[in-house]
Amino acid sequence: MDIFLQLTLSGLSQGAIFALIALSLTVVYRATTIVNFGHGDFVMAGAFFVYVLVIYVELPYVFAAISAVLIMLGMGLGVSRGFIDPIKAGPHIGFAMMSISLGYVLRGGARFLWGREVFPMPRVFDIEPFFIGNLVVTGDVLFISAIVAVFLLIFFFIFYRTTTGVIIQAVYQSERGATLIGVNVRAFHQSMWGVGLAMGALAGILIAPISLLHPDLGATFLIRGFAAMTLGGFGSLGGAVVGGLLLGVAEQLFGFYINSSLQDITAYLIIVAVLVIRPAGLFGRTVTVRV
Amino acid sequence: MEKKNGNTSLITSNQLRWFYYLVPVAALIIPFVANEYLLWIVNAILVYTLVTVGFNIIIGNLGQLAFANTAFFGIGAYTSAILMVYGGVPYTLSILMSAIVGGLAGFLASVTALRGIRLYYLAIITLAFGELMRWVYLHGDDVTKGSDGLRIPDDIFFLGIPLDSEVPKFFVFLLLAVLLVKATSNLMRSRIGRAIVAIRENEATTASLGIHTARYIVLAFVWSGSVVGVAGAMFAVLTERVLPEAFGLTEVIIHFGMVLVGGTGSIVGSVIGAITLTTLPEYFRQFPGMDELFFGIIIVLVLLFLPKGIVSLLWRISPAFKERYYRD
Repeated sequence: MDIFLQLTLSGLSQGAIFALIALSLTVVYRATTIVNFGHGDFVMAGAFFVYVLVIYVELPYVFAAISAVLIMLGMGLGVSRGFIDPIKAGPHIGFAMMSISLGYVLRGGARFLWGREVFPMPRVFDIEPFFIGNLVVTGDVLFISAIVAVFLLIFFFIFYRTTTGVIIQAVYQSERGATLIGVNVRAFHQSMWGVGLAMGALAGILIAPISLLHPDLGATFLIRGFAAMTLGGFGSLGGAVVGGLLLGVAEQLFGFYINSSLQDITAYLIIVAVLVIRPAGLFGRTVTVRV
Repeated sequence: MEKKNGNTSLITSNQLRWFYYLVPVAALIIPFVANEYLLWIVNAILVYTLVTVGFNIIIGNLGQLAFANTAFFGIGAYTSAILMVYGGVPYTLSILMSAIVGGLAGFLASVTALRGIRLYYLAIITLAFGELMRWVYLHGDDVTKGSDGLRIPDDIFFLGIPLDSEVPKFFVFLLLAVLLVKATSNLMRSRIGRAIVAIRENEATTASLGIHTARYIVLAFVWSGSVVGVAGAMFAVLTERVLPEAFGLTEVIIHFGMVLVGGTGSIVGSVIGAITLTTLPEYFRQFPGMDELFFGIIIVLVLLFLPKGIVSLLWRISPAFKERYYRD
C-alpha cells in the first residue's frame, strides 16, 4: 500500500507537468484548431532560455524563469503572425508541418549552440525530503505540484470568472459571432499562441531541474501531452488536466506493477486504446467522421 | 491530362512522358562517374524516393494526416532482415515479403481511418503506432537483437547478382524504384487513383456518387504500406544493419518534410523532395544541429513561398508537369 501511494504521489507530480503541456496544446488548439506538433521543442526552448539566463547572465532563478516565459510569449505572437497567418488559407497538413519545422529550427539551434552535451540544471530549492506517514515527499514534488496547482487555479479563474475568459469562450464557440461583437479574432489567435507557448515554457522550466537538459528533451513530452489530451478528450481544458494527472499515475503504476519497460509506452498504449475504444476521451465531444 | 495542358506550352505531355522515361536511363551513367560515397547517397535517394512516393499517396492523394510511414518502413526493413538472417530467404523473395507485410501494416493503419478517426486524431494514433513498433524492435531481443540492431548477412544476391558493393545495389535499387514509381503513377491515373483523390476533395460527395470510399481508403493505405515496405527492404541492405533508432519520430518527420518540400500529391514532387532532403543535409552533417536547423528552415521557406512544393517551379516552365487527375 505504501508503495502504491508513493508511486501515485510521484505519478501526480509527473502528471502535473503533462497536464500543463496538454493544457498549453489545448489552448492553442481550441483557439485556432491547430495542433502544435512542434510544441515539445518550444518546451525545450523555454528551459534553455532559463539555463542561459541563470548560468551566463547570472540572473536569479525566479527572474530568469519569468523572463523565459515572457520571451516565449513573444515568440508565440511572432510565430502566429509571421508563420501561421501567411499559410492560413492552406490545408491543415501545412500547419502541422510548419509547427514541426519551427520546432526543428529551435532544436537545431540549441544543438548548434551547445553541441551534443547534456546539462544538469542548477537545483532550485533545496528542500529536505520529509515524511507524511510513510510517504516520502521530496522538494521537487512539492515545488512542481504547488506551482502547477497555483497556475491552474489562476488559469481556470481567468477562464470562467473574468470578462476576458468569457470573451475567450465566446471565440471558441463561434469565431464569426465573436467578430460581429467586435472581438479582433486575429489578435486573439496571436495571443493564444503566446499563452500556449508561455505555458509550455513554464512546463519546461519545471522539468529542467529534475531531468537533464538536452536539445531532444521535447519529443517525449510532446507525445505525453498528446496522450493526456486524447485521454481527457481533445479540446477539453479540464480534460487535459485530468488526462495529464491520470497519465502520470498510470505510467508509474504500469512501470512498477507490470513491467518497467512498459513505462515508456504507456502514453502510446493510452492513445491507441482511447482512440479505438472511445475517441471522444473522458470529457470530449464526438470526433469521428461517418461517411 | 493529355491534350488540353500541352497546347500553350513548350513541352507537351507526350514529350514529357518520354522525358520521364529518359531520366532513369540517363541515371545509368552515375556508377561510372561517382565514387563510393556519392553512390551511397544516390542509393539513399532511391530508397527515399520510394518512401516519399508511398507516403505521398496518403498525405497528398488521399489527404489524410497519417504518420504511420516509419512503421511501414521499419516493418519492411525488419521483415527482410529477419527473413534473411534466420530463414536464409533469398533477398528477392524477402523484398516481396516486405511488400506483403508492409501492406498488412497499411491495412492495420487504415482500420483507424475507417473507424472515423481523422485529421489530428489520425496523426496522433499513427504516430503512436510507429513508436509502439519501435518499442517492439527494441524489446524483441531474441529476434531483433534490441538496440544492437540486426546485421544483414554479407552474401546476398538479387537474381544472381551479388550485392556486395554500392554499384550492384544501385542497379537493383534503380530497377525497384522505377518499377514501383511507374506502377504507382499508373495506379494514381486509374479509376482507383481518381477515387482516392476524390475522397480527399470531398468524402461525402464521393460516397454519394456511389464510390465505396472505405474500400479506396484501405487500398491507398495498403499500396502505400507495400511501397514503403519495399523501401524498408532496400534500406536494410543499404545500411547493412537494421537499428530501432532509424525508425523513430525524427524519421517520420523527415519523410513528411520530403513530401511537402517536393510537392504534395505529385510523384515528380516526391522524387524532387527525396533528392533535396537526402543530399542537402549531408553537407551540414559535420556541425552538430546544422542539419536540423537547415531542414527546418528549408521547409519553413517552402511552406511560406512555395506552398505547392518545389515541383510548382516546374509548372511555371510548363503546365504539362502538373499531374492532374481531373479537370477543374
